[in-house]
Amino acid sequence: MDTPTNLVDKPVVPGDVVLDLSTMANQTIKLGAGLRQDCDTISAMKAGKLRLSKPNKYWIESSQKRYVPCVEDTVLGIVVDTKPDNFLVDIKGPNLAFLPVLAFEGGTRRNIPKFEIGTLIYARVVKANSIMNPELSCTDAGGKAAEFGPLKDGYMFETSTGLARMLLSSPMCPVLEALGKKLSFETAVGLNGRVWVNASSPSNVILVSNAIMRSEFLSGTQQRIMVEKLMDRLQ
Amino acid sequence: MEQRSGSTWRMTVNEKKFIEDALVADLRIDGRRPFDYRRITIKFGREDGSSEVQLGETHVMGYVTAQLVQPYRDRPNEGTLAIFTEFSPMADPSFEAGRPGEYAIELGRVIDRGLRESRAVDMESLCVVAGKSVWAIRVDLHILDNGGNLIDAANIAALAALLTFRRPECTVGGDNGQEVVVHDPEVREPLPLTMHHLPVAVTFAYFGEGGIMVIDPSYKEEAVMGGRMTATINSNGDVCAIQKAGGEGVVSSVIMQCLRIASVKAADITSKIKNAVDAYNTERALQKVKRQSSSVAQNINIPDVTMKESNDDNASASNQTEMLVDEPERISKSEVYRSAQTITASIGDSTKRDKDTTMIGGPSNWDPYSKGISLSLIRSPKPLAGPVAVAKEQNEERMTQNPGEPNPEETTLPNSGPVESSDVSQRPSSPKSLKDAVKPKNRRKNKGAKNTS
Repeated sequence: MDTPTNLVDKPVVPGDVVLDLSTMANQTIKLGAGLRQDCDTISAMKAGKLRLSKPNKYWIESSQKRYVPCVEDTVLGIVVDTKPDNFLVDIKGPNLAFLPVLAFEGGTRRNIPKFEIGTLIYARVVKANSIMNPELSCTDAGGKAAEFGPLKDGYMFETSTGLARMLLSSPMCPVLEALGKKLSFETAVGLNGRVWVNASSPSNVILVSNAIMRSEFLSGTQQRIMVEKLMDRLQ
Repeated sequence: MEQRSGSTWRMTVNEKKFIEDALVADLRIDGRRPFDYRRITIKFGREDGSSEVQLGETHVMGYVTAQLVQPYRDRPNEGTLAIFTEFSPMADPSFEAGRPGEYAIELGRVIDRGLRESRAVDMESLCVVAGKSVWAIRVDLHILDNGGNLIDAANIAALAALLTFRRPECTVGGDNGQEVVVHDPEVREPLPLTMHHLPVAVTFAYFGEGGIMVIDPSYKEEAVMGGRMTATINSNGDVCAIQKAGGEGVVSSVIMQCLRIASVKAADITSKIKNAVDAYNTERALQKVKRQSSSVAQNINIPDVTMKESNDDNASASNQTEMLVDEPERISKSEVYRSAQTITASIGDSTKRDKDTTMIGGPSNWDPYSKGISLSLIRSPKPLAGPVAVAKEQNEERMTQNPGEPNPEETTLPNSGPVESSDVSQRPSSPKSLKDAVKPKNRRKNKGAKNTS
């Protein structure tokens, strides 16, 4: 199939027409975030980069400081309140999210976990639309725990959604790679722009978190250089 | 059910524990040491008395204004100083527009106490007529971004603004010695405030059981801290104010240690403020030099303009006297010069009174410096080439080459010297007689070509 659009991987702004459906007949296209169909054209609604995942998935990638909940996103939430049926969790979205008390592996009415206010939770978004409060779960689709749940110790800081996505990208992003060569640490990245870091000593945690915070607008090589400079300063 | 928007920042137990654990190891989350300040940037606005201070991520703007008011009855010969704070909602989601909250009032009070009770600003020099009118100084502090430690940043902003503020000069005159005339800043150079010393606020945050303390807490550290203390100290080591409102209790030895550290930090910050203010004043003085020449040049050139128009002499003479009366504070030399001008025979005039007024004090429709006169011309041993060239350009702009007039630049030559130097370099010299000045007119074109080059 010919690329029906030449805007893939290029920045677009709201109003740009990215696909002309009249030139593509009998094809199924899946539209992701930030795209909208207007009769025969697909136009962008958000500013960002247009992405294509072969064969037919299009979406727009943008970076904000606020988060709009999407289904199947893994997010870091902070417990704000406990109710009999669910925990109220803040995920940096427009509404507080509900985490049902039973949405844990082997969760029954007898072993409801006790979270105090301010607990950091790694969870998955199950339901999300603009009308209702989003719903979370601490199990994966098969009902297993799979690393979801409360996070102990460590340090959490907030970033933009773009940086969070970069940290989760599939060939590992340069800053994490460079840090991982010298230090040992663990991270949990929430797509809502929250990152949790834990390491054996506080200085390592501080080093890793500052390196990540500074790496947002740097290219790959710049990130590696920055990490080296930080390491030299500490040693 | 809480439907609060997610814009309020929430603290996790992990962060609280981590910040305290890191502090036990003398580490802060942004990599600072416990007694390190964040980077301070001091910038100034276009007007005198406006400053912008950035302390790390905290951003505060200070603005000083002055007004003539009646003094308080128990202090009839002192001016007043008032601090107003505005916590803009864009600084922090918890700030609300409208009435200041508790923290805003506390901040204003701490800064006010540091300046007023230590008598940092000289109040008696602000008195104009005892018991009747004094200057009321008002300092407005706008918080633009809350990154922690607002008190220190706002204090630096207030000090920087007060140091660069200039109040208009005023003279007391009139029949009964009670009339106050406030002079326009363009006419008389405004005066700076007299500051005896600079009280600098240094804030400490206490953690744990009061054993750990840090300087200049950031936003997250402020959320975790157990207590806070602000010490306002000047570079001489005098304690101007201390504020510790609630929070964890601390032993007195810790307080004394804090005061010692604060005096060191205060000296450092004072030198930073002074450097920034000096740089600003130098730049301002350079601009002032240009401006003074231009305003003097305008006065001299008005008769030049009048010469071209060749209207009747009577109107010109009356105009000149009007001008003399209106500006009693005008330097006497320029008056002499102008009366000399009226005597000169073939002076035409511009009956356009308003043109005179527009020229004095405002380069509105013509700016001699738009053609780029260099300072060297003005400061050269023949200091007369400057306004002379101006006059020449003025003539060129008008494009009226009236051959019947005496050479404008020659007449300005001897007299603009003393007039200008009395403004710029205070060298008194008697005006030469106009006979020397009036040269044959065919020399004008050559001189003009030389001057405008």
